Amino acid sequence: MQIQFGLETEIGISRENSAELDVVAESIALVRSATAPGVRQRWDYRHEDPHQDARGFRVAELRQDTDEANYFAQDASRPLSFSEIKSDLVLRNGARFYNDHAHPEYCTPECGTLRELAEQDASGDALLIECARAIGAASGNPVLLYKNNTDFRGHSYGCHENYLLPRSLSWDRLADGMQSFLVTRQIFCGAGKYGWEAEDRFVQAGFQLAQRSDFFSELQSVDTMQRRPLVNTRDEPHADPALYRRFHVIIGDANLSPFATYLKVGTSALVLQALVNGAPRERIPRLKDPLAALPAISRDPEWKWHVRLAGGRTATAIEVQRAYLELVKEFAPPTDPEWAALVDAWQEVLLDLERDPRSTADRLDWTAKHRLIEQFREGEGIAPDDPWLRSLDLSYHLMDPAQGLFYGLLDSGAFRLPFPREVIYGRPLAAPLSTRAALRGGCIEKFGGQVESAQWDGVVLRDGPRRIEVDLRDVFSAERVAAGRAAIAAAARPADLLSLAFAKSI
Amino acid sequence: MPDPIQKPRVIPPAPGGGGGEGPKEPKVEKPNTEDLLKRMRKVDPEQAKRYRQRTGQ
Repeated sequence: MQIQFGLETEIGISRENSAELDVVAESIALVRSATAPGVRQRWDYRHEDPHQDARGFRVAELRQDTDEANYFAQDASRPLSFSEIKSDLVLRNGARFYNDHAHPEYCTPECGTLRELAEQDASGDALLIECARAIGAASGNPVLLYKNNTDFRGHSYGCHENYLLPRSLSWDRLADGMQSFLVTRQIFCGAGKYGWEAEDRFVQAGFQLAQRSDFFSELQSVDTMQRRPLVNTRDEPHADPALYRRFHVIIGDANLSPFATYLKVGTSALVLQALVNGAPRERIPRLKDPLAALPAISRDPEWKWHVRLAGGRTATAIEVQRAYLELVKEFAPPTDPEWAALVDAWQEVLLDLERDPRSTADRLDWTAKHRLIEQFREGEGIAPDDPWLRSLDLSYHLMDPAQGLFYGLLDSGAFRLPFPREVIYGRPLAAPLSTRAALRGGCIEKFGGQVESAQWDGVVLRDGPRRIEVDLRDVFSAERVAAGRAAIAAAARPADLLSLAFAKSI
Repeated sequence: MPDPIQKPRVIPPAPGGGGGEGPKEPKVEKPNTEDLLKRMRKVDPEQAKRYRQRTGQ
């Protein structure tokens, strides 16, 4: 597997004893309370351009630009600068932790293995909980953090995935190849939701597979906050744009179950690898109406998940997934035990979903949540449309292990894990060793005080009057990562990094 | 154009959920959720009504 990947998760925030809450102030305070090793307010925004479209043009504005301008106007009244409001913290594991307008957001560093991703995702959760506990203890009003995607009022926030791909895979092949996969994968990576919504409103009570499936109304676009697209066209590689592209996936749910995250990211990476390796266009499953299929699958009370294919035949979401599985076996067969295990797990979950979806409650968020809450609902005689179910749904996503229902299930032994529990949880904050994140994290850990700016694609350090740029835009091979790690380990000062082929004085 | 959707095939699950470094079965056969159900009774039914966020990405 050559594809590298990462997650960026926006977190819901509340307080136990506050009826009215300024969520922006809460998010800023939470991010600023972090004491984990890293560098603060040195993120280099010059490298960000969310207006560039992968279809080959630059949009003049995003749909959310007006809203964002209004938010910035409101935020201007706060006694904080733009940089202080964002409060970017680049951590020693190479991750980014900051306030994304009204949500604390943790972006994992780039990962090269699924085990690294599980570790880094859990490290972010632990960091968030540490911050919440500190603020709660100091104020006497506990902070409640939710790793979910909605407030049940139509306000959704994301858990985005990023996949680094060779630019040689054309955008049309990529978008065309992934559409049906992204629509149907919710059968195993949905986080479950007690409610149906539309943009900006609650619609009605009812269970569905995915938190996010109510919020997509375009096939492709560069937008991420309004009229969201199934396939996001943002072209911001955070790498050499002549060589690479970053596939920015905004349709996924935030998963609590590490197994669901493992399946979500692992299967997506494998399908992308199959496309890179030349999986033919005519073998790609196509849906007649992907935008209609997304909520139809999610809300199907029978859990049969029938979809109409472009040719007119009816299939199930499971059959669509199996078609992708066959493509992966043929065009991206696993070459090591980790990826072979992922293929087995994908195959097994499809089989179990076909036999009895409830049998996947030991792996998947939506079936685990449904089984637990339905057991409670029936035992307590609660009506299927009782708003209490939405409160219980929220509680599944509480990030505090002492309170969250997911963690209660985990402690009871109800969940299978993709890796040993001690590997995933409770690990010290450390960068993945297989990617350029080890270089970003290494510079921060060793020369934090001299880091002038940091970004996904580079770090600038000061050494006396000199400024040294470690250019990470093309540091993806194992050889380059190893050379960078060795140079950082041997360096006594930032200028020593100039021995690297991808570092220079600026 | 060939139909890319394959007929469902019965594929036996891999022993132990996969080989190598893959997933392992849970350590208990039947999870004890009694304590968890008690925790759920304490969840404030109004909690979701008070929960309000801004739209994110």
